[in-house]
Amino acid sequence: MKIIALVKHSMDVAEIRVDPATKALKTTAAPRRFGDLDKGVVEAAVQLKESTGAEVEILCFGPPAATAAVKDLLAMGADSATVVADPFEGEADGATVARILQAALEKLSPFDLVLCGFASDDGYSFQTGPRLAERLGLPLVSYACSISVDSGMLVAERDLESVIQTVRAALPAVVTVAEEAFMARSVTLLQAMKAQKKPAQAWALGDLGLDRAELEQGFSYVSLGETGVIVSRRQKVLRGSDMGDLADELIDDLVDVGILDVQGGQ
Amino acid sequence: MAGGILVSSENPSLTLELLGEARRLAGTTGFPVAACALGETGPELLESYRHVADVVYTFENPADSCRWLGALRAGVDASKPSLVLLGATKTGTELACRLAERTQASYAAWAVAVDIEPKTAVVSASCMLYAGAALAKYRFSRPMTVLTAAPGAFAACDSERSEGVLAVLEPTTGDTGVTVVGERRKDRRGTGLESARTVVDVGRGVRKIEDLEMVREVAGLLDGQLGCSRPVSSDRDWMPDWLGLSGAKVRPELCLTVGVSGAIQHMIGIRDARVIAAVNNDEDAAIFSQADVGVVADLYEFLPALADRIKARAVRPAWP
Repeated sequence: MKIIALVKHSMDVAEIRVDPATKALKTTAAPRRFGDLDKGVVEAAVQLKESTGAEVEILCFGPPAATAAVKDLLAMGADSATVVADPFEGEADGATVARILQAALEKLSPFDLVLCGFASDDGYSFQTGPRLAERLGLPLVSYACSISVDSGMLVAERDLESVIQTVRAALPAVVTVAEEAFMARSVTLLQAMKAQKKPAQAWALGDLGLDRAELEQGFSYVSLGETGVIVSRRQKVLRGSDMGDLADELIDDLVDVGILDVQGGQ
Repeated sequence: MAGGILVSSENPSLTLELLGEARRLAGTTGFPVAACALGETGPELLESYRHVADVVYTFENPADSCRWLGALRAGVDASKPSLVLLGATKTGTELACRLAERTQASYAAWAVAVDIEPKTAVVSASCMLYAGAALAKYRFSRPMTVLTAAPGAFAACDSERSEGVLAVLEPTTGDTGVTVVGERRKDRRGTGLESARTVVDVGRGVRKIEDLEMVREVAGLLDGQLGCSRPVSSDRDWMPDWLGLSGAKVRPELCLTVGVSGAIQHMIGIRDARVIAAVNNDEDAAIFSQADVGVVADLYEFLPALADRIKARAVRPAWP
């Protein structure tokens, strides 16, 4: 059995800063990394490897920095990695990304399972799993919080809004992993060192028979600009070792801004 | 150019919000408004959809989620819309992407403002980007655009505007390849969060469900209701609903966050609070740059002390 774990080298959106005067986004300062969601995908794949003996390949469409960072994911127990270089620097639309990943998956086939996050950590538009299932003509199991394989069939629990749903699907299939369902294991120094020797290949669009200009023509929208959402809060911070004093300081602050009233004495 | 607007969500109140926006767009374009009635659709609900939509499509077994993609496809074939507006629930988001892929439509998630150019039917929209840290404005280039919108992004119609017709459609066939073998309902209780003047917002820093008692005591003293972040609701199932991009959005006088890290997806649910106060033991937590006042402390030490001081000083909320 072969599992392909799709990950995105994504922006830490909590670190995006906004120019208060112009509302311009300062995204260059935000670090790029494999976030918890992507590590959760690899964790889910490695857990399945442990129960079924499957082989786990990591696939990433991303920047050159992903090639080095992917070693951290290999250290978690994946066997090999492929990084497809992104010439669009993250600006391709979801349909185009799915088309590129489809081509990469077809080149890596045969596979039994494609695992990816329910959404990416930065774009957060929930597109890749559903789009790949459509393009590949495979069953889609989304928001999976438990995944197992039973006599060649995929069995999974889906974490939906009001129900937990148990489903079965034939392999190969596409599965998207629910938020926080798989907490990434910590990696030992020895595992990190061994990961350096695991096979990691770099592909360009040309290796997939795709052409950048042609893909760009197919973008389904024009971006007319982005503006940051400005947070203007007082950002006052209270510190101290005496909890009673700290509590009083918080109460006093909330009295000053008209949220609380103090009726007692001290 | 002919055009239309199709809306759908399995969440009834969200459907009414989407219909409200569709009706507004119909006012500027003259486009007809259609709705696909999916989910638990009783006669009263269909009636309320009919008051806003020009046509409401109904389906046999509307609660069977395996048929929803086929139902939406049938709705698209019947109404030939320029814009399909779907609810950004977990299922809705998945359906929207699949529908866009299947129909080669333009797609964007988390719309907060939509515009259709009446003559050309070109759709443009402002959408939340980077999980809500930014807004992007797009102009879409395909004949049909699929957008999703979260609860609270648009307002429901407050008046009855039309007397739409009901039409039964047959979902286009298409085996999903997935068999549902079981379903268990998550615990659901009413929360009344939307109207609460104080919301005490529980994050992952609260470790055990029993610890909610300590949080509840502070909430009770401040006339507050408990809310939580998505992992606390969706993974731990401590509460049925969460606050955030994909959940409820509240605008209380005071939001006191306890053990909330300040992830942007979550902050969208509380950023309209008048005052945000935060307790977190991690000095570098993102919440402190998004709060009015932050306390760097172990919530397990701080909350009992806060409850004691509130009682000792007879502190009350400033509202009557």
